[in-house]
Amino acid sequence: MDDIDAMFSDMLQEMDLLTQSLGEEAESAPLPKPPTIPGPQEMNFSVGFTDFNASLHDLEDNDLDALMADLVADISATEEKFATEKDTLKGSAPVAPIPSQPPSNLSFPGSSSTLRQATSSNSIAATPPPPTSKPSKEELEEQIKADKIKLALEKLKEAKVKKLVVKVEIMDGSSKTLMVDERQTVRDVIDNLFEKTHCDCNVDWSVCETNPDLQTERGFEDHENLVEPLSTWTRDTENKVLFHEKKDKYEVFRNPQNFYMWKKDKKSLKDMKEKDKEQLLEENFCGASVIVPDLEGILYLKEDGKKSWKQRYFLLRASGLYYSPKGKTKASRDLVCLVQFDNVNVYYCKEYRIKYKAPTDHCFILKHSQIQKESQYIRYLCCDDEWTMTLWVTGIRIAKYGKQLYDNYKAAVRKAAGSATWASRSIQASSSASTPSPTPKARAANGHAPQPAVETKGSSNQTSFPPPPASMETLPPPPPDPMLPPPPPAPPSTNKVNQFPPPPQFPQSSFPPPPMDDLPPPPPPPPEDSELPPDFLPPPPPIFSSCGGEALPPPPPDPIASLPPPPALQNFASAGGAPPPPPPPPPPPAPAPAASKPAGSVRKVAPPPPKRTTPQLAAPSVG
Amino acid sequence: MAAWDLSVSVEELGPDAPPLKISVTSDLHIGGVILKVVEKSQIKQDWSDHALWWEQKQQWLLKPSWTLDKCGIHADARLCLTPQHKPLRLLLPSGVTLRLRACFSSPVFRCVTGLCKLLNIRRPEELSLLWPVEEKKKKKDKDVEEELYDITRAPLPSSIIPKLANGMPAFFAETPETEAVYKMLAVSQPAPAPETIAKLYRSTNITEKAHINSRWLDSSRSLLQQGVKENDKLLLRFKYYTFHDISPQADAVRLTQLYEQARWAILLEEIECTEEEMMVFAALQYHIGKVSLTEQFVASCPAMDDLDSALQCLEVKMEGESSADDMLETMTAPELHDYLKIFRPKRLTLKGYKQYWFTFKDTTISYFKSKEESCKEPIQQMNLKGCEVAPDVSVAGQKFCIRLLIPGPEGMNEVYLRCEHEQQYSRWMAACRLASKGKTLADSSFSSEVQSIQSFLAMQKTTPSTNAAQTDESINTHSLVSPRYQKKYKPKQLTPRILEAYQNVAQLSLTDAIQKFLQIWQALPDFGLSYIVVRFKGCRKDEVLGIANNRLIRIDLSVGDVVKTWRYNTMRQWNVNWDIKQVAIEFDGNVNIAFSCVTADCKIVHEYIGGYIFMSTRSREQSNTLNEELFHKLTGGHEAL
Repeated sequence: MDDIDAMFSDMLQEMDLLTQSLGEEAESAPLPKPPTIPGPQEMNFSVGFTDFNASLHDLEDNDLDALMADLVADISATEEKFATEKDTLKGSAPVAPIPSQPPSNLSFPGSSSTLRQATSSNSIAATPPPPTSKPSKEELEEQIKADKIKLALEKLKEAKVKKLVVKVEIMDGSSKTLMVDERQTVRDVIDNLFEKTHCDCNVDWSVCETNPDLQTERGFEDHENLVEPLSTWTRDTENKVLFHEKKDKYEVFRNPQNFYMWKKDKKSLKDMKEKDKEQLLEENFCGASVIVPDLEGILYLKEDGKKSWKQRYFLLRASGLYYSPKGKTKASRDLVCLVQFDNVNVYYCKEYRIKYKAPTDHCFILKHSQIQKESQYIRYLCCDDEWTMTLWVTGIRIAKYGKQLYDNYKAAVRKAAGSATWASRSIQASSSASTPSPTPKARAANGHAPQPAVETKGSSNQTSFPPPPASMETLPPPPPDPMLPPPPPAPPSTNKVNQFPPPPQFPQSSFPPPPMDDLPPPPPPPPEDSELPPDFLPPPPPIFSSCGGEALPPPPPDPIASLPPPPALQNFASAGGAPPPPPPPPPPPAPAPAASKPAGSVRKVAPPPPKRTTPQLAAPSVG
Repeated sequence: MAAWDLSVSVEELGPDAPPLKISVTSDLHIGGVILKVVEKSQIKQDWSDHALWWEQKQQWLLKPSWTLDKCGIHADARLCLTPQHKPLRLLLPSGVTLRLRACFSSPVFRCVTGLCKLLNIRRPEELSLLWPVEEKKKKKDKDVEEELYDITRAPLPSSIIPKLANGMPAFFAETPETEAVYKMLAVSQPAPAPETIAKLYRSTNITEKAHINSRWLDSSRSLLQQGVKENDKLLLRFKYYTFHDISPQADAVRLTQLYEQARWAILLEEIECTEEEMMVFAALQYHIGKVSLTEQFVASCPAMDDLDSALQCLEVKMEGESSADDMLETMTAPELHDYLKIFRPKRLTLKGYKQYWFTFKDTTISYFKSKEESCKEPIQQMNLKGCEVAPDVSVAGQKFCIRLLIPGPEGMNEVYLRCEHEQQYSRWMAACRLASKGKTLADSSFSSEVQSIQSFLAMQKTTPSTNAAQTDESINTHSLVSPRYQKKYKPKQLTPRILEAYQNVAQLSLTDAIQKFLQIWQALPDFGLSYIVVRFKGCRKDEVLGIANNRLIRIDLSVGDVVKTWRYNTMRQWNVNWDIKQVAIEFDGNVNIAFSCVTADCKIVHEYIGGYIFMSTRSREQSNTLNEELFHKLTGGHEAL
């Protein structure tokens, strides 16, 4: 028991540390940082603000709530932990302590160290799963204990999820502030921003970072995590996060011919049939390996440490960026590798003619994402014109990310289509919001098998939509069931009515509607949100009721005061008496409004006709 | 009707026996002729595989109900009663030669289908047969008679799906010997000796590459018609570079042979790659060779699949539990600590290495003045996540340095760590490599990483004996690269470079590694191009036509540049004029091209184009049945109609 006691006092110290750091966070004081840790390990709690107070001030109410809930969750998780600890102690008392590996001993040292990480670093240490079975007689008891430990560990994990408050500049000069946690992808953040900005949600919207020192800009890819790159910014950075439309983000998927057949005259490619474009995409992105556009040509390379730019003949390959040295052929064996893409990102540059005496202003650089200032480890390249630059930057992105890029695009298209659906449907909703929700019967009458509403709807919000009244023919059909085949062909006029305006760059015909069944599962329906308009999704993380957060007050002036006092053992025992419910679930993933679409837009694209395999074609002219 | 004598030779009577004379009338059908011959030969055996071969016309008489009259056979015809299936020496992509019975009477396409069925290779339409290169017997070196694996006793492939036993076709499971043969087909061969590569290697220009394609057999005619004789040697190769529906479970042999073909194409520089790519290929070959030795041959039958997944599931569980237990047992995350020397090169400073007490925890290195002060604040901490790690090692000089390039806001910080000895080096090096990928010491791959570093060090220590093939751990790195790089680098120089590439693939499973190899191969710019030297209509000089699965390209022979690309989806029709041996193709937008073929018969070009069109129709129809008729329609030429 001695070592358990020692352990426990250790835990209390940890707790102390945590509460202190939480208090400091709330006061926007920088986190205590070990003086010797170099830059990359520093953690900024907010991005785009001079101090944390400002960032809090900027947060919208619901974000603030969410942030508070998070902070409270952190605290409660700690409380919880000690409660469990207490339990564990009690639980293990009657059992003869197994000297080699008592369960409490087993898991907590590890977890306390992860706690420390929560405040000082961004890495997640794997928390050991608790032992699931023990050969002892009190197996049941052990099991309960193990479960509790597991629960506590999960909460700890939750508590150490790193979050950033990020100020995002929007095109019109305004800005939005939002909280991003390290599990969120850029896609999640974009979706979040869609809700805040009420923009048109087309696929070109992207989150970018700018670096005024290097005069660079890079659009984050949708699958990247936002927190990780932002955490490597220096504390005094002037870098910004922007949210705007970038035409080149997915241009390669709209007009693949311009990239994959770049050698051809662009005019002749202009009228390429959609079918042929799809085939190009299929050939290059859906095979065993992604094919990188066969770019080659003269670019200017800034020489190491010099001011001069030299022309070189560059070639892009899946394995990296190469150039052919002087006097050599461009045969593969003679190529020199300038850089491989595993560790670098590609950035657009601004006004390098002035900054670096570049031949043109169409420059891009390749660098490790952590490098923030001019350095010999950056590769500077310059193109003759803007299109060439787009070509190369896109090519490099394809080489680096491969099929992921295409997946991102498809997800973005689904999202865009979904938002458009939402837009059209919210109009409907406001016009006849009082009609009762569709009953399974009515839906069955339309050729659908009855299905529980929850399953078929993106979220419970949808239940407030007007159901199709008795006369089906005159009104748009109900959203087709994702699991069911599309309803029998409706009269064309019906289709028209229901067809929402497609996003600007996407002629309806060019994209097959996304398959309905591979959408992410809908988030669990929030219990009382159903009257909210759909674009309020996703709801902020549910408020944590049992931790004094019933109606969350604005941040208390002195958070420390509101925190549970640190190391009083009895205190925790009492806290442990009634274990609080689980912490808020992670913010729901991207809402899946696209889960249902008006029937009119579900247009099955017939498989392309087989290639010309007609006998006429094969018929050799004998003669 | 008047009876007349027909002479039929029977192979079973011996080569010198005179042909049998049988009396026939013109309305006797072929089946009747065979019956008469068999009766007259007085040999009792199974004649079911025999058929009549008409020597002068070089054709089989395979329709038993046709009369002699209908076949156009008169008294001057010399017929031969011979088995339709004869032994053939088949050289597989892996370099293994099998002796097996192949069908000499059906079109090569069907013959290959049969062979593939026997060998358990799915999608036989992607493969075909070609003549071997004529071997110049200059030196008359008594080549040790090549190893031959005789499986002629295998039953003829019937139309039934091969029964699987123990994950292999039933025939192979019969005896231990045949089982060993099958395993040889399904497991990649050990790395060849560098000399073998050098001997096979010929610096290939595009014209020579084009000559390879002149050796393909005609898919629509039979082996015997094309002059293949019993016991001749033919190569079985993947001809169409579009590999449909590869599934590692069902395609053990197919995947292995495909890998072997790709590997040899790279070793012999039939397809070009850069130095960086060559190092990755070498690392993958090394890894595949190593894993093949240890990883058990995975059987592929449905029941085994279930078992497999169940086992895997169990394994994961065990792993999860044991690692948790380990963690719990040790109470803390694993760490490394040692006295090491550090050196940070800076401009204009020539400070040497200084010794400190180093600890490695998670992904971070910290160092202290001494062991005693390790509880205090470290002098410096370095997080290695995202850094570049390179070895700087000389086993002979007992120098074991790790070069780290750690990214920071200002650029990359260069740091050298010097270890005392091999063991220390391999542990710290492994830790650095894992940390650079964001993994900690607790990661399960740590110990295997340590091992692979040690085995590479061992490779540097011993001067590899010249003929060493890959045995347990040691390997001559020259066996992994093409002769160009054998000449350019010594094995000692190659080793660290391959090791560098190896760190990214060391954790792959066998099939993943093979698929990775194939992926990189397929991403090479020249992948999947088959070359033919042609003369375009109205041009005076030879040019090269490259045929790929989705396009035709026209290449300037002297410069090697691509002049023009035509995609199949813009193709309206193509025609072959068999008399003047010219291929004419019409594309959308009234683009017409015509060319005659210089290095290959225009049937080969015709077959390539038609074949690729055929391959592209496969993805749409989900059924597994092969539409042989369509293939012949697209590739057949005038005989087919």
